[in-house]
Amino acid sequence: MLNFIEQTGRRSVRALDEVGYAASLLGESLFWTLFGRRWRQPVRIGSVVAQMMQVGIEALPIATLLAAAIGFMLAVQSLYSLGLFGAESFAHVGIALALTREFSPLIIGVLMAGRSGSALAARLSSMTINQEVDALRTIGINPVRFLVAPAALAMLVMLPALAMWANLVGLGAAGLFVSASLETSFASFVANTVDILTPADLLHGLGKSALFAVLIAIIASVNGSLVTGGSDGVGRVTTRAVVHAISAIIVTDMIFGFLATR
Amino acid sequence: MGTLQSSATAARPAPLPKGTAEGAVEGAVEVWGLTAHYGHTQVLFDLNLSIQPGEIMVIMGGSGSGKSTFLRHLIGLERPSSGVINLLGQDITQLGPVEMLDQRRRVGVAFQGGALFSSMSVIENIKLPLREHTRLDEKTMDIMARMKLEVVNLSGFGDLMPSELSGGMLKRAAVARAIATDPKLLFFDEPSAGLDPVVSAALDDLILRLRDAMDMTIVVVTHEIHSAFKIADRITILDHGRILEVGTPDEVRGSENQRVQSLLNRRPDDTPLDPEEYLRRLAGEA
Repeated sequence: MLNFIEQTGRRSVRALDEVGYAASLLGESLFWTLFGRRWRQPVRIGSVVAQMMQVGIEALPIATLLAAAIGFMLAVQSLYSLGLFGAESFAHVGIALALTREFSPLIIGVLMAGRSGSALAARLSSMTINQEVDALRTIGINPVRFLVAPAALAMLVMLPALAMWANLVGLGAAGLFVSASLETSFASFVANTVDILTPADLLHGLGKSALFAVLIAIIASVNGSLVTGGSDGVGRVTTRAVVHAISAIIVTDMIFGFLATR
Repeated sequence: MGTLQSSATAARPAPLPKGTAEGAVEGAVEVWGLTAHYGHTQVLFDLNLSIQPGEIMVIMGGSGSGKSTFLRHLIGLERPSSGVINLLGQDITQLGPVEMLDQRRRVGVAFQGGALFSSMSVIENIKLPLREHTRLDEKTMDIMARMKLEVVNLSGFGDLMPSELSGGMLKRAAVARAIATDPKLLFFDEPSAGLDPVVSAALDDLILRLRDAMDMTIVVVTHEIHSAFKIADRITILDHGRILEVGTPDEVRGSENQRVQSLLNRRPDDTPLDPEEYLRRLAGEA
């Protein structure tokens, strides 16, 4: 029993320690982004653009596929459930709101946690093990400015952009299915969807995806830099980063949704 | 906490020894009263060392002697619990971030495994310090980086990725990056580790050539006895975080210290085991 209490205590302290470290990494990233130039440690635009290509552009095909699948699936389920009440003509309402406010940011967040979060954690951990992070420091390069800030900035830009793209693709796929099923025109689906959506709905989704971007970048950086051991450690922290990031996204999504709809 | 930030908070360093005015330091490296802890365990005990400009100082010791920890403090990767580390006339324990940046330009480090950035080509690795610390245009940086590759006999390999290099080539490329900004002080961490005798000897020759051609002070941490005696002007022997001996290779070879002789002659440590300590270890209390 004493052992259990001791273990729980140790884990709680370690978790708190990691939260504190995450907060300091976030603050430091923000500091270097805003004031790096003054300290002769600028966050290089080239690095941010390179990260944006990896995080965003290279993820476009898989993001498009997932968004189309989600849109299609939402259309199928909406038509089925609303069909029970003979209300299929209102399918666009549920699809548009669910996609823009919930599914697009969530699916893109989960995709990015698995794709870019794991890549960042693996990169940082292998660089730590190979003494590349030490080498950066001896060259006079702050590792947070050089490695974390560009990745966080790239995610902050590309996640909302991909979520917006997922909105378009998802609604397009849903529109095609709905118009074909109800024998109406695709243009009428688009017109109805535009009517129902407000800027607040779009901002709700985009705000969430920006929050997810910060969470993924910081969680991946914390786990990546806390690596111990060899290649085994890299695998362990990468898995941990993805699990933590996806969990954080889902819990944050719930809290955000609850607070934003009250 | 993590490796991305400084791992320890600096304690107030010890004052300079009496009669030593700050800025009037003659050595390229001056260490006074350096002590360091990992958690509650003390790992370095009141180290004092002076390395003269243009000298090659080899720091030797067995596993767990504290030589790597000592090196990490010398290159500013760890903050000491107390003491002064003066590099090229500046106490690095007292430097702010911007001053430390200037200091980094004057100091090069070649890590044990090379520590080249695997996402960049060899030439990009060498250009990185130039890009960060100078305002040179791309063409000039390219020329300078290729000159450094020439120095380490790697001309023509600049466009390869680090993963395409052999162990010896990796270490030489790391040296090229370490000398990119023409530092006055160069640190090597285990340069011969993992290399065959021929490649290791070539690296020793490179270290000697660098000192003569570029007028550098060089500090080498190694456990390779043959290599140490070949390149060293002086040797420091560390043991359990304490300096046992500092002297020329001949002085060290003739040392009457039993532990120094054990290290040089590769004799296992004959320290008698304390029975109580042994029992504690068995019970998992140590």
